[in-house]
Amino acid sequence: MIIILAIDALEYELVEKFNCQNLKQKFYGKTDISEFSQPRTIVLWSSFMTGKNKEKEILLKGKKEMWNTKFDIKDTFFSEFKNPAIFDLPGFNYNKEVHDKSRTLLKKFFEVKTEKEKEKIRKEYNKDAFDHHKKIKERFLKAIDKNHDLILGYFSVVDVIGHLNFGNNMLMRMLYKEMDDIAKKCAEKNCPLLILSDHGMKAIGKFGDHSDYGFWSLNLNKNLKTPKITDFYRIIKSLR
Amino acid sequence: MKTIQEEKRMSIVIVGHVDHGKSTLIGRLLYDTNSLPRDKFEEVKETCEALGREMEFGFILDHLQEEREQGITIDTAQIFFNTEKRNYVIIDAPGHREFIKNMITGASQTDAAILIVDANEGVKEQTKRHAYILKMLGLKQLIIVINKMDLVNYRKDRFIEVKEDLLNFLLRLNLGPSFTIPIVAKNGDNIAKKSENMPWYKGKTVLECLDTFQSMRKNSDKSLRFSIQDVYKINNKRILVGRVEAGVIKKGDEILILPKKKKTKVKSIEKFLENPIQGEAGESIGITIQDSLFIERGNVICKEVGDKPKVTDKIKANVFWISDREFNINERITLKLATQEVSAKVEKIEKRIDSSTLKEIETNAKNLKNNEVGVMVVKTLKPVVVDNFNYIPELGRFVFEKDNGIVAGGIITEEK
Amino acid sequence: MDHLSELESKSIYIIREAYKQFHNIAMLWSIGKDSTTLLWLCRKAFFGKIPFPILHIDTGYKFPEMIKWRDEYAKKWGLNLIVGRNEEAIKAGISPKNKLECCTALKTEALKQTITKHKFKALLLGIRRDEHGIRAKERYFSPRDLEFRWDYKNQPPELWDQYKTKQDDEEHIRVHPMLHWTEIDIWEYIKKEKIPIIPLYFAKDGKRYRSIGCKPCCLPINSKADTIDKIIQELKTTSISERSGRAQDKESAYMMQKLRSLGYM
Repeated sequence: MIIILAIDALEYELVEKFNCQNLKQKFYGKTDISEFSQPRTIVLWSSFMTGKNKEKEILLKGKKEMWNTKFDIKDTFFSEFKNPAIFDLPGFNYNKEVHDKSRTLLKKFFEVKTEKEKEKIRKEYNKDAFDHHKKIKERFLKAIDKNHDLILGYFSVVDVIGHLNFGNNMLMRMLYKEMDDIAKKCAEKNCPLLILSDHGMKAIGKFGDHSDYGFWSLNLNKNLKTPKITDFYRIIKSLR
Repeated sequence: MKTIQEEKRMSIVIVGHVDHGKSTLIGRLLYDTNSLPRDKFEEVKETCEALGREMEFGFILDHLQEEREQGITIDTAQIFFNTEKRNYVIIDAPGHREFIKNMITGASQTDAAILIVDANEGVKEQTKRHAYILKMLGLKQLIIVINKMDLVNYRKDRFIEVKEDLLNFLLRLNLGPSFTIPIVAKNGDNIAKKSENMPWYKGKTVLECLDTFQSMRKNSDKSLRFSIQDVYKINNKRILVGRVEAGVIKKGDEILILPKKKKTKVKSIEKFLENPIQGEAGESIGITIQDSLFIERGNVICKEVGDKPKVTDKIKANVFWISDREFNINERITLKLATQEVSAKVEKIEKRIDSSTLKEIETNAKNLKNNEVGVMVVKTLKPVVVDNFNYIPELGRFVFEKDNGIVAGGIITEEK
Repeated sequence: MDHLSELESKSIYIIREAYKQFHNIAMLWSIGKDSTTLLWLCRKAFFGKIPFPILHIDTGYKFPEMIKWRDEYAKKWGLNLIVGRNEEAIKAGISPKNKLECCTALKTEALKQTITKHKFKALLLGIRRDEHGIRAKERYFSPRDLEFRWDYKNQPPELWDQYKTKQDDEEHIRVHPMLHWTEIDIWEYIKKEKIPIIPLYFAKDGKRYRSIGCKPCCLPINSKADTIDKIIQELKTTSISERSGRAQDKESAYMMQKLRSLGYM
């Protein structure tokens, strides 16, 4: 079995700052995403699973349509496995409704004028993110006890919460601790474990913007230094 | 209306090993004394619930650490809390990485300390080192809290075991805690309320203990020491400015100016827009004197009659090294004591001691490293005016400076 | 000695230390209550004759009352007032429409230019530990690098009134003589000393400013406190932070722009 923990916007600097040992594993570092014009979530995960830079292709769809991107399993490294279980991955099988809603709320947050309205929206936005996270987490943790040869869990909570709360050190610390605990549970399975983020996050005041590198960690030594996100297609195949 | 002026304020420092629960204790103190807006705690609680985790009070401290130097702050808070008796301010709350130099900086500004120990893990190296520093800084009001009693099933025997272990160490330092309390910081056991889980503990809660302490006494009842900071010429008056370190200085006092033992009389006490007749310990004032003598920064004034500080070029001291940069006995170093600054050499390092075990590493040593204590004889290039640390701390303590920064703190045990 | 006298004595000691150590220093005066109190303490430290310049950074967007008030007291107290303005940026029309750029150019840049021009080695500032959380970690003497950055994780130790005194060529030292004061202490002291304070702090038509800066970025709070006593009373019962009146939307605007480019909106 191989486990992949795909964590949106997990920031290298914060993993260090909060000293998340389980997220770091034995080998860890930054990824190089400089080949992309912007650190866009959907573009990065699509490129990850297909092993090809999909930026051009996806941008052609336009800002709205790009979120509907859906790659066939044949185009991804998942097809190399007999019994893969993939949870909520953008560009593949994510719960579009949930993720659309959070983007809508985000937009609304910036449109409303008063602090009171903003606060109300932020609360709803955060609550949705946590609720969704709990569901995915439960399904994912159940699945790692079953007989899959590949399990990929995609967790968006760090990104979603981060956009509106990055300046809230407390929330961020709690989230990183939460993700660190999930990583711990994965590590207990004693199988190859890859932890990967598409990009990290940096502060714009209290908000969070995407940083222009991602995070990776692995419990095996594959001599990775600053790999590109498309390199993992090959790396994962070599883990089998 | 009661004003802050009438109220007392006390500053405290919370020290101990990094994982023994300082943040949780602070979070709980703020919570139990209603010192932070409730919505902050609600947010922690809600998030813990949303993530299906146990409530963690330590997270509240992150609200106090918005890492934003410029621009506008969102979550502002103070590390202040109140009891009915007074206001407390916690100096240098724990951060991401903990350096001894930060702990020393914090503890040197406070009136009282809480030393925290994990009941399960017991006394660690850092616990002992922090205790040593408290002793060195002359902090006498100390509470020991033995935390996480829930992890040891609230057992009295374990409490006593950890307590004895630490007390044995403190005894060697000649430092006695005022109180030792079994607590569970995260649940609030014995913080503001007596714990129902530990009926065998009959003592006070943490807050009750803090309220028994006194704000640092000023040395007004001791003999006069006035350190000169600078000399100003204002409207043709030559004003010697500085701080009264101990005692009281009055108009008309017969005084000696050290180290040269020049005799004169206080002509006036100077404060802007005031006409005071005296200045007391802790006060920043100016004075004018009868005779025109050469006076400079670093001179110390005492009374002609009564006890006087020592003027010497040789002192014996305990020196705590707090720099990564190792000290070699052959190097010159700058000694700064109140407003005095002189070049000095270390004549002898009689003992080199590990501050956490109190073990003697070496006698007659040539070097001193970070976190080590040297019992040493210091020879200054010019005479300095000093007191024993136990008598007048302000003139009995000094720092060593090297390459732009403080590298050690020392207390004078003997004036040779 | 009472509480306020203790605070005062400690601050005066630090001000005198800073002047003795660096000589070429200036005090940053924002015309607000904190730095006006600091100015008062400086006058006391030097018996009414402050031997160094008082620096005001004028962004061109300050309340007109502030400028009038500043000039009135600068004259009354015989201050050596230096007004720092980033004339180039003001001419280029930089305005609060783009807040991030505005603050950087008109405040930070203007301060940098003024420090460079006068070669100040240290600046006295009226910040307090209770202003916000991270300030609890400040030192009385705090080095800043060329970019004005503060490396709070790696600060020099400070004990027994011995402060960082020497400096490398590339940095200046910020001196904070009032670090140990609280917002209430400030008002109590203003009352005791009868320090003149700009009237914007006192309620008029149900509104007052709790903190003042540039006019477009300051929002008044609802308040009936038109005397110092009422302000102190108000502060004792409020749990809202001091700076919440300042507009926060410069980051919002920038963030929206970023989210758009990332495809979120």
